[in-house]
Amino acid sequence: MRKMTKYLLLFLFAMLVTFVLAACSDNGNDSKADTDEGTSENGETASEEKVKLTIGSWRTEDVAKYEKVIALFNETNPDIQVEFNPTKNTEYNTVLNTSLQAGEGPDIFHLRPYAAGLKLAEAGFVEPISDINGLDQYSEDYLAASKGTDGEQYGVPLNISSTQFFYNKKIFEDQGLEVPTTWDEFIEVNEKLLDAGITPIAMGTKEGWLLSLTHGIVGAGVLDGNTFADKLVTGDKDFTDPAFVESIEAMNDLKKYFPANSEGLGMDDIRTLFAMEQAAMFPLGSWEIPVVNELNADLDYDFFPMPSKAGNQTVTTWVDGSFAINAKSKNKEAAKTFLEFLTTKEFGELFVDEFKMISAIPGITSDDKLLSELSKAVESNSTPYYWVINFVSGDPTTKTVLETELQGMYLGEVTPAEVAQKLQENAETSFEPFK
Amino acid sequence: MTTVQTALKKKGRKNGKRWTIHLFPIPALIIYSVFVLYPILAALTYSFYSFKGFSRESFVGFDNFVTLFTTEPYGSMFTNAFKHNLLYFGLQMIVMNGLAFILAFVIYKKVRGAEFFKIAFFLPRLLSVIVVGFLWKLILNPNFGTLNMLLGKLGLEELQRAWLGDPNTALISIILVNCWFGLGFGVLIFLAGFQSIPGELIEAAKLDGAKGMTMIRKIYLPLMIPSIMIMTVLTFIQSFEAFELVYAMQGSMGEPYYSTDTLAVFFYRLAFGSSTSGSSDAIGLGSALAAVLFFFILICTMIFLKFTNKKEVEM
Amino acid sequence: MKNSSMWSKPFYYVLVFAVATISLYPIFLMFLSSFKTSAEIFKNPLGLPTHFSLDTYRTLLSKVPFDQYFINSVIVSVTSVVLVVIFCSLAAYYIARFKFSWNNAIFFIFLLGMMIPIKLGIVPLFILMRDLGLINSLWSLIFMNIATGTPLTVLILTGFFKTMPTELEEAARMDGAGNLRVLWSVLLPLMRPALGTVVIVNFIAAWNDFFFPLIFITEKAKMTIPVGMLSLFGEHSADWGSLFAGLTLASLPMMILFFVASKQFMEGLTAGAVK
Repeated sequence: MRKMTKYLLLFLFAMLVTFVLAACSDNGNDSKADTDEGTSENGETASEEKVKLTIGSWRTEDVAKYEKVIALFNETNPDIQVEFNPTKNTEYNTVLNTSLQAGEGPDIFHLRPYAAGLKLAEAGFVEPISDINGLDQYSEDYLAASKGTDGEQYGVPLNISSTQFFYNKKIFEDQGLEVPTTWDEFIEVNEKLLDAGITPIAMGTKEGWLLSLTHGIVGAGVLDGNTFADKLVTGDKDFTDPAFVESIEAMNDLKKYFPANSEGLGMDDIRTLFAMEQAAMFPLGSWEIPVVNELNADLDYDFFPMPSKAGNQTVTTWVDGSFAINAKSKNKEAAKTFLEFLTTKEFGELFVDEFKMISAIPGITSDDKLLSELSKAVESNSTPYYWVINFVSGDPTTKTVLETELQGMYLGEVTPAEVAQKLQENAETSFEPFK
Repeated sequence: MTTVQTALKKKGRKNGKRWTIHLFPIPALIIYSVFVLYPILAALTYSFYSFKGFSRESFVGFDNFVTLFTTEPYGSMFTNAFKHNLLYFGLQMIVMNGLAFILAFVIYKKVRGAEFFKIAFFLPRLLSVIVVGFLWKLILNPNFGTLNMLLGKLGLEELQRAWLGDPNTALISIILVNCWFGLGFGVLIFLAGFQSIPGELIEAAKLDGAKGMTMIRKIYLPLMIPSIMIMTVLTFIQSFEAFELVYAMQGSMGEPYYSTDTLAVFFYRLAFGSSTSGSSDAIGLGSALAAVLFFFILICTMIFLKFTNKKEVEM
Repeated sequence: MKNSSMWSKPFYYVLVFAVATISLYPIFLMFLSSFKTSAEIFKNPLGLPTHFSLDTYRTLLSKVPFDQYFINSVIVSVTSVVLVVIFCSLAAYYIARFKFSWNNAIFFIFLLGMMIPIKLGIVPLFILMRDLGLINSLWSLIFMNIATGTPLTVLILTGFFKTMPTELEEAARMDGAGNLRVLWSVLLPLMRPALGTVVIVNFIAAWNDFFFPLIFITEKAKMTIPVGMLSLFGEHSADWGSLFAGLTLASLPMMILFFVASKQFMEGLTAGAVK
């Protein structure tokens, strides 16, 4: 017995030594790499011509697609090596913020849109890029997503997200339903589906962000798109306005069209319901198209813009992300070259084809019928998603308050008027025009 | 109880290099101080500063602490989360530790297949919390989840519900998942405790004619105090630090409608912002909350340890 | 004793079987679902998969450098566990068996680490790691595992050191054994149940940790299994079969290691420390 313990200990010790040595030699490689970098920073060694760029992002699902982007980039820039290193969506902010605060981080990173991302610029973590080529083609609205209060541009806008209702064409045909063009028709469609025993709207209230997203769509129907939004963002109207309260009430009234147990359903559940043809409509963003396709390639579906009470139709849009350069990057020139590449038509076309998303670059068309129709709608009749564009400051943010209180409303804890009241109270502390 | 020191003294100078004993705690202390104590203390000082975005602005004394308790919505969020932590502790003590104690006793009594059961109980503990959260979210799913389906098959339709979406059941569901996760660890600790009870004591008690409940009350329970103490302290600390599972299952907002919010989730939200809407301005407030949480746990643990130490001495 | 066991035995078995079923079922579900398609999972979550194929696993393994992640995870976990158990045994022995006036203070300092979320200190930690040149080094993870595992390990080991009878130790000292020798050949062998527990707990914590690798490791070649597999959640958000296969792959090595090693630990447990 004693002997056995002795051997066991000896074995453990040997293992330890091996691993320590292994880990040490690892370390050795590291420090060697460090010194290599040091010399290239001084810039003089001829053998170190290849610059290496790293890109940080929350788009873990796009690894394969970015490989194609990088391959296209390398056709014209063979000397710049690029590595796409995404972090899981929910941890991205923590990881990026931590490394930026320590003066490290990737050379290029995916910037969250509007105030959330601009906070990084205000802290001095982001390199101004107003001087790079290709920025002038974008519309001012798109550039605004990454323009600092100092007037400098901090990011190249990548894609436009739009939210609208998707609908199952087969179910609509079977039930003899037309795409609604007014709010009343929209309600009528819901009622008919409900009578036919079909869940009208695939929607769940378990995840708060789905609620602000849906209000972005449905609210535009009640508030007639830009008519109210324009006055809200200038401070001429506020959340206590009867029209706004009505939009919250409309959200509440839609609950009867949601699936059973909607308070327990999240993103994955409602997507599945729609893709498996168990619900007729799906209020969500353009980015869901490839995911729904993957889940059920045979699904025959289309979108319709939200019809308003005044008879207008809108899709709700915003810039979903921009690419920015780390102010502490050692390869700023190469990074700028890459960002300029992101403004080219060649990239735009590859992006639309591969990512199945709407490019921020104007005039890029897609072979995908759904996507190209959606792009047209975005250019002709869009309304801004003001929850993301204007109401993401404060603690908690006004957008967060909307999400939490709507959740409370669906659970019967607060009334629509109280939701509006709480929004107003929060916005008065953080939204400039209300102060 | 004779301590080792007295034994050492009796022995005189046979051990010339007695000072070397003081080297024993050094390696652990160094690594622990550098990589845990230092960063935490450094970050705690943030609680005395105001922040704008990421930049530290000015020294504000105890302002952040005052804000935390007197300004809405922080004040009510704090009380709300605190109550949830209390429930967390209570339920875990009763369900998890209670069951673990019984199971450990059963295994100690040598049921057939003890090996298998020990492994079975412990297996969930091997999974990463992310995996645990994901699996249980699926099982508790209202429309295609196993639990509701099972209830349906048993004819208990009225019990079916959106377990994680209903504020009345969401927190309890998460705590029970935590119990599922931590049960095996409790069994191991208690089992190790039972097995450390000197066999002679049990033999002696049996010879004295003790059996059944008397045996448990007079022999097992008192001798199990060290492991009960360990589990209570650990459960207390883990309940008040509850974060990973809540975050994995309900995100950083304590959804639905703050019904699953805990102090540590609240802290995370303040210090790191909600995951989708970017960072918040509240690094100072977040640090203040962490400090409050820290002192609360510290004081409670101290009181508890004092209490059990006395008990031990009495024995 | 015999009378009571007559009625309590069946009850014992019902209890342990029920709990074991609940413990194992979700894990079984994970394995099962990894062979299903998304549609199958939603339409028939309880049923068996309609066909059995390892294709999902093959595609996954071809996509991620699983072997590299595995080696990294093993290096990090084994080194961390061996070091944390050695260091903490030394510290706990000191705290539990000697009555120096500062011992309670040291014990308490160790406990502090459990009472505060370590995430709070992530920015100072990152700067520290950068200055030590440990970003993208497995050592950053090893140090973090040792440091964060210390409080619990010291707590458990101190508790068990206190229960050890002093007679054996005194006898060994009379024979002229030094501190290290007493600890090594008298006390630790008696502590196998407790040692087994702390080894398992630390190993699991080190193996499953994903927060620190996420922050300190950016090079793919240095990633550990949980971080590498975490990306699957994004990549396959709609392909549930693959997701479950990924989860299974992430959990499987730990389970296999546990089955192999549990024999050693469990033997320690059942053998009973004190005869």
